[in-house]
Amino acid sequence: MRGRANIGAAAEVAIILIAAAALWIAPNFAGDYWLQIGFRTLIYLALAEGWNLMAGSAGLVSLGTSCFVGLGAYIAFGILNKLDAPLPLALAFAAFGGGALAALVSPALFRLRGLYFTVGTLALAELLRLTMINVSAFGGATGIFLKNDPPALPVLFRYALAVALLASFAITCCARSRVSVILRAVRDDEDAAAQMGVRPFRVKLAAFVLASAIATMAGGVQAVKLGAIEPYGMFGLQWSIDVLSMAIIGGVGLRLGPLVGAVFVVALGEALADYPEAHVAIAGVILIVLIRFAPRGVVGFVANPALVLRKPAPA
Amino acid sequence: MNAPPLLEVSGLCKRYGGLVAIDRLDLIAPAGAITGIIGPNGAGKSTLIGLIGGALTPSAGTIKLAGRDVTRLPASERARAGIGRTYQIPRPFLDMTVEENLEVAQVSIAPLISAAAARQEREALLVRTGLADAASLPARALPLLRRKRLEVARALALKPRLLLLDEVGAGLVDSEIGELIALIQSILDSRTAIVIVEHVIRIVRECCVRSLVLNFGKALVEGPTSEILANDQVAAIYLGTGGARGKAAKGEEAAQLAGAIHVEAPEAEGGKLAPLVAPASGVKEPALDMRNVAAGYGQARVLKGVSLAIAEGEAVAILGANGAGKTTLARVISGAVAPSAGALRIGGRAAAGLAPHRVAALGVAHCMEGRRIFSSLTVEENLRIAARGVDAATIRRRLGAVYDLFPVLAERKAQIGTALSGGQQQMLAIARALMARPRIVIFDEISLGLAPVIMDKLYEALAQLKRARMTLILIEQDVDRALALADRAYVLEQGVFALSGAARDIAADPRLRHVYMGAAD
Repeated sequence: MRGRANIGAAAEVAIILIAAAALWIAPNFAGDYWLQIGFRTLIYLALAEGWNLMAGSAGLVSLGTSCFVGLGAYIAFGILNKLDAPLPLALAFAAFGGGALAALVSPALFRLRGLYFTVGTLALAELLRLTMINVSAFGGATGIFLKNDPPALPVLFRYALAVALLASFAITCCARSRVSVILRAVRDDEDAAAQMGVRPFRVKLAAFVLASAIATMAGGVQAVKLGAIEPYGMFGLQWSIDVLSMAIIGGVGLRLGPLVGAVFVVALGEALADYPEAHVAIAGVILIVLIRFAPRGVVGFVANPALVLRKPAPA
Repeated sequence: MNAPPLLEVSGLCKRYGGLVAIDRLDLIAPAGAITGIIGPNGAGKSTLIGLIGGALTPSAGTIKLAGRDVTRLPASERARAGIGRTYQIPRPFLDMTVEENLEVAQVSIAPLISAAAARQEREALLVRTGLADAASLPARALPLLRRKRLEVARALALKPRLLLLDEVGAGLVDSEIGELIALIQSILDSRTAIVIVEHVIRIVRECCVRSLVLNFGKALVEGPTSEILANDQVAAIYLGTGGARGKAAKGEEAAQLAGAIHVEAPEAEGGKLAPLVAPASGVKEPALDMRNVAAGYGQARVLKGVSLAIAEGEAVAILGANGAGKTTLARVISGAVAPSAGALRIGGRAAAGLAPHRVAALGVAHCMEGRRIFSSLTVEENLRIAARGVDAATIRRRLGAVYDLFPVLAERKAQIGTALSGGQQQMLAIARALMARPRIVIFDEISLGLAPVIMDKLYEALAQLKRARMTLILIEQDVDRALALADRAYVLEQGVFALSGAARDIAADPRLRHVYMGAAD
């Protein structure tokens, strides 16, 4: 059985690498429209992968994605504007900053369980947004402009690809190794896991720090593409909601969930781009239908449609 | 020679607000020995396990493991220090396979263990605990008793120096208890200590050199197990008559002692139970009629054609080894499992394939194995939910009757259901089934996890219900008690009735021992 698992892991890595290689050369063929959509999908994919690691594996349902996206944006701009540093260095700083913030707030946040943790992350995002608005050194409500011109779209697309690739690899490492049983044990029953010698705090911290580092990097890339940032957009609740709905639509805790969810949500947005009101309504209806009939998301439904008509398991 | 005992608990206290769960308790568990802890339901036994295992923080006192003070360590560090425990109500990681459940313990104590070595260890453990065939099943698919085995296997995967077993013997038949005793004794070596909390007295008698009796959080007596079990005070508060088996020996005296803590004399209780008993239906047909019923889960066929008829007011015992299909039979009657073939009539109405709430409306209450208390509701809310659509005065009368049956529930009525001890939850499950004022009650393993003295009281109450002409279906591992109460009995073996007849005849039938006890002979 272990042998089969190794083959599975190798296949997964190979698929990710092949897909990444294909996308790396995509800017040579694809037009700007497709690169724009691809960029957005990849950023969302990275965010949703991190979110899925926290929720699907460690049971941490976060509404704090926007907090780290915004933080990444501000750190990246700060490094780029003040130090004239290259973009990769700025992104590395952003990742470090995001991880550090996660580690810093975790003693307080992890005291909260379940929904209270979710509300705690929401509060954290608001706190950061209000700080940015009210501290003039951070540009206040008007925000900050990027001093130099942002790189061209194909370059940015490849940055987004690199971040998404990094996220996918990190998640594969977690999901395919023995770490995965530890993560799922904490999700299923934290107390019972502790009784098995697992240290739930450290496990949750690791997942939270990793997901946050990914989100800040994605935020940094997104900000550079915009060229100008302001607190309302970068710390907007929309980021958190989008990522949450992607994970739910794709399938929480499932390996392909974030990918399917990100593609689905971006494609839906494009299809309904001319009808913004209908977009929100239709997205809402889709979420309701999915939660009712396919609680494990699109991927869960495709993998096992019978679950829809599931009867209670014998006990 | 001066090495400290493996486990040394001194002055241990646990208070929940005003409630003292554990009161200045001292306990020593030396390496190379098995220590037993017995006591009435709610005495604080599981709390003590929780305190030693680190799930709960003591209010005062110290816990030392081989001389090292572990009182302030969290559960994870205690597990790493070598304390393994089981949960009385199993808490497996439901969405993981049985094998992965063990892997959690292995990986957390030895992250770099080689995959092959870990797999070998797991396989050996699963064979030892009788779960080898379930290795790749999700834990959710295991029935209650197998989940209990998984608890043991998971604790053993930690390679503990101190093993805390919380009621792992509940619900087992004699032959399985024999296997469990052999397993426990095989775990013990000169550097391991085992602490057992158990209501199955045979396990305590055969495993434990010394035992401690806990009552209201305090040590009542401590000493060699044989002396403890012969102690009159222990008999009065805990052992009771020990079922029909001990009756001949102790007889009247023990019954009187047990009666001393019962609230009422039997005759008075008969009257008090009246609000819980439905009036006669007047229907001529049997209360329950099953013909050639087959049922199962997916590919697994569990019941392979069973027929039985139960008249109104009859008490029928369903006996059989674990895995014979008893619980499935109960689930078919209550509508939780639809039969794949055959006819099922309840009070003359066709009931095969009806949803559980429709079956309940026909007057069937199912007291399920494993308690199934609503964890977010209080004790009283748990009870009220079974009596919906009834006027307030009636509900009050019924509540009065069940509180009279189980006074401890009245004391705890405002607490959430899962704050009760395991045995108290069992009482709540029984009370909840009665609140619907059912015509037919299915009691699935209701004595599981109850102190012997409470079982006496419970069976007294069942006798009252029977006299009041409630139709009772008893699924029970305590054969003697079940047969003493029932009019008739059916013995299930691999999905078919191997024996049936009057309870008296079944009890005397030599084939019963053979069928029921399996390899015990």
